[in-house]
Amino acid sequence: MSEFTIALAGNPNTGKTTIFNTLTGSSQHTGNWPGKTVARKEGVWRHDGDLFHIVDLPGAYSLSAFSAEEVIARDFIVENQPDAVIVVVDATNLERNLYLALQILEMTPHVALALNMMDAARAQGLKIDIPMLSDRLRIPVIPMTARAGKGMVQLEEAIAGAAQKGREAKQVAGFEFTPPFRYSQPIETALNRLIKAINQQHPLKNHYPERWLALKLLQEDETCIEKISAIPGTDDLLALARHEATHLHSFYGEDLDTIIAEERYTWLNGLVQQVVQGRLQSPTFSDRVDAVITHPVAGLFIFFAIMWVVFKLSTDVAAPFVNWIDTFVNGNFAHWVTELLALVHLENTWFASLIIDGILAGVGGVLVFVPVLMFLYMGMAIMEDSGYMARAAFVMDRYMRKLGLHGKSFVPLVLGFGCNVPAIYATRTLENPTDRILTGMLAPFMSCSARLPVYVLIATIFFPEYRTSAVLTMYILGIIMALIAGLLLRKTIFKNSEASALLIEIPSYRMPTIRNVWTEMWQRTRAFLESAATIIMGVSIVIWLLMAIPVSGHGTFADTPVDDSAFAHLAGAISPAFEPLGFGNWENASALISGFIAKEVVVSTMAQVYHVPQEPQSGAEDAGFWAQGKDSIIGLFQATVDTIKSIPAIIGINLFPPETESEPPAMMTAIRQGFEQSSGGYGALAAFAFMVYVLIYSPCVATMAAQRQELGARWMWTSIAIQLTLGWILAFVVFQGGKLLLS
Amino acid sequence: MLHAILHELQIAPGPVTMQQLSRKLGVQPGALEGMIQFWVQKGRLVIDDGMNGATEINVCGGKTCLRACPGPAQCPLVSDPLTSYTLQRKSKD
Repeated sequence: MSEFTIALAGNPNTGKTTIFNTLTGSSQHTGNWPGKTVARKEGVWRHDGDLFHIVDLPGAYSLSAFSAEEVIARDFIVENQPDAVIVVVDATNLERNLYLALQILEMTPHVALALNMMDAARAQGLKIDIPMLSDRLRIPVIPMTARAGKGMVQLEEAIAGAAQKGREAKQVAGFEFTPPFRYSQPIETALNRLIKAINQQHPLKNHYPERWLALKLLQEDETCIEKISAIPGTDDLLALARHEATHLHSFYGEDLDTIIAEERYTWLNGLVQQVVQGRLQSPTFSDRVDAVITHPVAGLFIFFAIMWVVFKLSTDVAAPFVNWIDTFVNGNFAHWVTELLALVHLENTWFASLIIDGILAGVGGVLVFVPVLMFLYMGMAIMEDSGYMARAAFVMDRYMRKLGLHGKSFVPLVLGFGCNVPAIYATRTLENPTDRILTGMLAPFMSCSARLPVYVLIATIFFPEYRTSAVLTMYILGIIMALIAGLLLRKTIFKNSEASALLIEIPSYRMPTIRNVWTEMWQRTRAFLESAATIIMGVSIVIWLLMAIPVSGHGTFADTPVDDSAFAHLAGAISPAFEPLGFGNWENASALISGFIAKEVVVSTMAQVYHVPQEPQSGAEDAGFWAQGKDSIIGLFQATVDTIKSIPAIIGINLFPPETESEPPAMMTAIRQGFEQSSGGYGALAAFAFMVYVLIYSPCVATMAAQRQELGARWMWTSIAIQLTLGWILAFVVFQGGKLLLS
Repeated sequence: MLHAILHELQIAPGPVTMQQLSRKLGVQPGALEGMIQFWVQKGRLVIDDGMNGATEINVCGGKTCLRACPGPAQCPLVSDPLTSYTLQRKSKD
């Protein structure tokens, strides 16, 4: 009986462990490599009466000693000199996997190649000429599918054969081998000189593979040089290696490490071109789809079309749920709260006012829009999960570059669609400070999800027929403003900054899973609900307090006409600034003031300041709790049915019977009247200008804090000044320009 | 092969995807990844996962981002950003 040592090497995820487990079964033991945290697995395999110690080397892409795994694999092969090395490669990714095999073949010729995952390669239409591959590499190549146990018998024979040859070679003094690949002549000449010098050093000759050692010395491998210099009498060898390396460096004008890697990759590319036929030669379905989706012009239209569908979902399809929540919160729920307050004798008190007019009106006013956000988040999740979002970013980036923005700026800007705060922090990845500041100043122009409820509310009141288009216009306007502002800033403040070349990893197309989409949608919705429970409720209470304090008239605390309140006077002092924009009443000004804290509270403030106590539905107060609850559940069911029926409306199919004009909610009527009065009868124009202002002016205190932290106080204030000024100018142009056109 | 990557990025009028580069150079996508990693290790390409900065910050505990953002791991509003590589002028070596 003979005993052999076999090393199992390969890239990560090539099925190496499956082969190891199949060979060794239960006779395995696991530990750590000496001095490392990398797991070491060994096992015993018996074959034809011989004993094979199988060592599973850590997965590595190369033996260049860039990682602990690479060092372990390299040192084991060089220092332990196993009888054979089995390199497991993924047949679908041959070119990359063979790089490691090639490096191993520079250390030992006693190698067998396990060409694993052949089933996947065949499924991808790849045809591999195995005899040619074996011939070119000069080693046995065993096609197999380890997972299904196919090819294992052949691999076992190959292992035994390679091990036997390896053992025999060890017993022959001065055994030399010819690797399958040769470098360019200047490198080979230097290698030959070094090999000659190594052969004169007996301890080295017996301990290291000579060609591999020569190569490492030429590459000025620090670990290797350290080990060799510890051996007496190697000074001349090291001096020769330094001389050769310097000569080659000046000859190639590049470090030798790169030249060697370059030549290996070039040789492997030629080899793979010869032995593999299939996918690379013809574009895949994904390639053909990408040609359209990422086309400079078509890609842009596709992006806007998809965004239109997402907003159609967020507005029209979500509408039945919005209506149901509105009816529930302001109807039955408000009724139950009032009843409860009456039960504890707190009706008609300041506490009742705080609950009903403060918290319920404020938080409830925003909760109504939760379905809108859920559909937006669902759209975003589908776009991300399918791999489309990456392609959209790629399309947009082209235009950003044309306007002189940095290639990497698109990442923060795309993040800005979800939330501006991470967008600001993402600018850290831009090395150039001017690029960082510029992108950090542009990110707030991207319309974050918190602004969506404002657009939907205003668009529903003033542009019910075109609300999807109105919302989409805001998003497009935000992108355009970011691009224009970027161009202007690049031409003025941020001159002399160059865009750099960029390579982008685009994920493969995937079918979005319901589970993923639901998880992402729910997590984002939950984050919004958390903000509703904290920021929105807090601001609602402060606003209620300011509305409860009388500063004129004869009212008392919590019992004063809202026009006489501290809030009305405070907002009224600022409102003249908005008069030229068409929304210069105190109610709208107050919503914009609170919007400085967070855009979510614009709607809640409007709900509070325009709050009109809802008349209970006829008979509602007579119905019992259970009857009202039943009504609400039936309403929810009906809303679900209506939502499903709304989906075909995206492509223009209306499944609803023509209905008579229904009375809009009291708050919406109050908002419409407010805008009509403040604009002198141009309510729709003023409302559109209001949406533009909400889009452009400072998003929230969190974004400002992020800007201060990342860009500094000076740029934060500059950014705020630009946002306020630009927002005012744009809203002015929309309102006054619109008036001129209409008159 | 390796230098062809840098050359293609230098002459490209805009950003390039891995797939486009893989096709242009006639290299399997996996092998291209390996070559890209080589240049990243050499410092000629700089990897950017889009949230390098944000993930270092962990102050808002997954609630509301009042002063900082915890990054995609904790903040659901943050999309998983793209990974990109930027070409550096000339290696330090």
